[in-house]
Amino acid sequence: MMRTSFWSELVRIGAVVSVALGIGFLITCFVSEEPVAAFRELLTGPFPKISFADGFQVKGMNRFGDWIAESITLVLLGLAIAIVFRARQFSLGADGQLLLGALAAGIVSLFVDASIWIHIPLALVAAMIAGFLWGLIPGLLKAYIGVDEIVSTLMLNVIALQLYQLLLTQWLRDPTAGFVGTENFPVTAVLPVIVPKTRITIALFLALLAVVAIWFLLTRTPLGYEIRIVGANLRFAEYGGINTKWVIAVSMALSGALAGLTGAYLAMGLLKKLTLNLSPGIGFEGIVVALLARNRPFGVLIAGLFYGYLRTGAQIMERSSDVTREVVMVIQAVIILLITAERLFPLFQEWRKRRSDALIVTDLAGGEGA
Amino acid sequence: MSIETVLQSIFTATFLASVIRVSTPIILPAMGGLISELAGVINIALEGIMLASAFFGVIVSALAPGWIPGLPIWAYAGMGAVAGILAGLILAWLIAFFHLELGADIILAALGINILAAGGTVFMMFAITGDKGSTSTLASPALPNVQVPFVNDVPVLGILLNAENFSGYNVMTYAAFILTIVVWIFLYRTPLGTHLRAVGENPDAAASVGINVKRVQYMALLMSGFLAALGGLNLSMGYLTIFQNNMTAGRGFIALAVIYLGNRHPFGTLLAALLFGAATSLGAQLGTLNIPSQLIEMLPPLVTIIALVVYNLRRRARATVNERKFQERAAG
Repeated sequence: MMRTSFWSELVRIGAVVSVALGIGFLITCFVSEEPVAAFRELLTGPFPKISFADGFQVKGMNRFGDWIAESITLVLLGLAIAIVFRARQFSLGADGQLLLGALAAGIVSLFVDASIWIHIPLALVAAMIAGFLWGLIPGLLKAYIGVDEIVSTLMLNVIALQLYQLLLTQWLRDPTAGFVGTENFPVTAVLPVIVPKTRITIALFLALLAVVAIWFLLTRTPLGYEIRIVGANLRFAEYGGINTKWVIAVSMALSGALAGLTGAYLAMGLLKKLTLNLSPGIGFEGIVVALLARNRPFGVLIAGLFYGYLRTGAQIMERSSDVTREVVMVIQAVIILLITAERLFPLFQEWRKRRSDALIVTDLAGGEGA
Repeated sequence: MSIETVLQSIFTATFLASVIRVSTPIILPAMGGLISELAGVINIALEGIMLASAFFGVIVSALAPGWIPGLPIWAYAGMGAVAGILAGLILAWLIAFFHLELGADIILAALGINILAAGGTVFMMFAITGDKGSTSTLASPALPNVQVPFVNDVPVLGILLNAENFSGYNVMTYAAFILTIVVWIFLYRTPLGTHLRAVGENPDAAASVGINVKRVQYMALLMSGFLAALGGLNLSMGYLTIFQNNMTAGRGFIALAVIYLGNRHPFGTLLAALLFGAATSLGAQLGTLNIPSQLIEMLPPLVTIIALVVYNLRRRARATVNERKFQERAAG
């Protein structure tokens, strides 16, 4: 039973992704002189090219590195969203939590003087605490007072952005730089690269660790069980004696901690400083990952790699063709719409069944006539 | 600088006019959001709908002279406005279709629409203009400014109704205030409005008295699309005459918050939108006085959260009182 539902799920997701990519190709055809070449870049660009022309060579490792670097961001954000979605909360606060996480990591990076073994963990923990607290606020407000989390998290995003920009422009910015941003972080606060000539840092292990940790939390601990029950049936959870309010608040705070960690990764792993626009709009990108993964941690890993691949491919396509990378956002939107359309697949199956029934009927009718 | 000169430099006619101008693209989508919220189908894609409408308004009005030459400029502006409104209606219909027919979660479907609009506008803009930032290479017309006659000689009213130089505001600004009243009349003085609120209050009860819930919710979402579209057109064909990448900059989300800050009532929503507009204008003014604008811009969202807390606490208190009354009556 479990297996069949898993496979039908997989088929469904595969179908949704294919349709979305098909629509992406269709709109590319409208705007591009060479849509096939453009789409080939999108779909194969991030993969390293192995050539045997003069000895064994692997080319395009930096593109491959970009893919992994991008996927780390998406996996962390996807986990953040998966946790709240599991508890059936619509927290849209990842954007703000991410900014404050980056801010906390940045402050620790710039103002604490320590060896790399202490500096990096300290900055990461600071970012997670900042995100945790910024997620706890809407969590408590929702759980104990009933404040709608969509509005509160969107407003907290605005406040976080203003706070981030305020501290950056008034206090942290490097006055000698031509743009609003801090000076580069000291080496002790920059995540070390583990694959030479790429942007793949130790954050890769961090992301994998986070996947396992969240999987363990959700499936092997009482809190995880409670989060799942609260998400599945709030009334049942209440009757079962679960402190649902606390669980809701904690799920949103944990999500914030992961978003904060993502912010730290962007600052310490990719940018190596704080800039005015850290990564605009990235906070919403976790949603498609969590949806594709059906909120399962290992699913998030795969969905994050998939969506990171598409995003990186789109950047490569943009550089080498006349199509902008935003085609991926259109693909993403189609994925979200189709995957949430719960009645779509049953309707489709019904239609197919009816059609095959109709075929049988016409066959029979034809048989009788002969 | 004394506090007095600061205050004097802030509360001028220019400031007042600026508040009204800045509030317009919040009032319009907020009215749309209010209608959908009261019908029980909250539309969090106001942001995306505004963006798409702003885009199509500019593109169609800029390209229309190439399609049908020789018309007066207002005709092209009108075509742009119609295109923008159509774009808004189509996106709102998509949300309604996916939610009401295909069982999609309305929040997620709307998020999808937001992403579609954010990506789709840049995608098409680049295809048409070769620029990802803005449509600066296209010459697009503005929707007209309107001057209210006869009031310019009245001291305060003239400035209030016709802006600081008495030349009038963009037509969408007047539309925003007039539509607020229209929305109030619709919601509270027409049978359809009553049905709409009944659907939002309790869809099962509404259905049991013969209201077509699905049709009412379709209608509410389409209205929200229409009003958000006007807000978007105000940005790209009034406030500016250009489309820029992500030019809504979160106004659609602020419009959403404004509904709750305004206690889910048209006039409260209008006041709340003006508060956000005032904070933005004030932030810009204080920026010239070396006071960080971010501090001021933080206030309205903070006030919104506090208002939500107060609103929910009061609702809870009322529920407890009612319950106690009910139990006392049952006991007595």
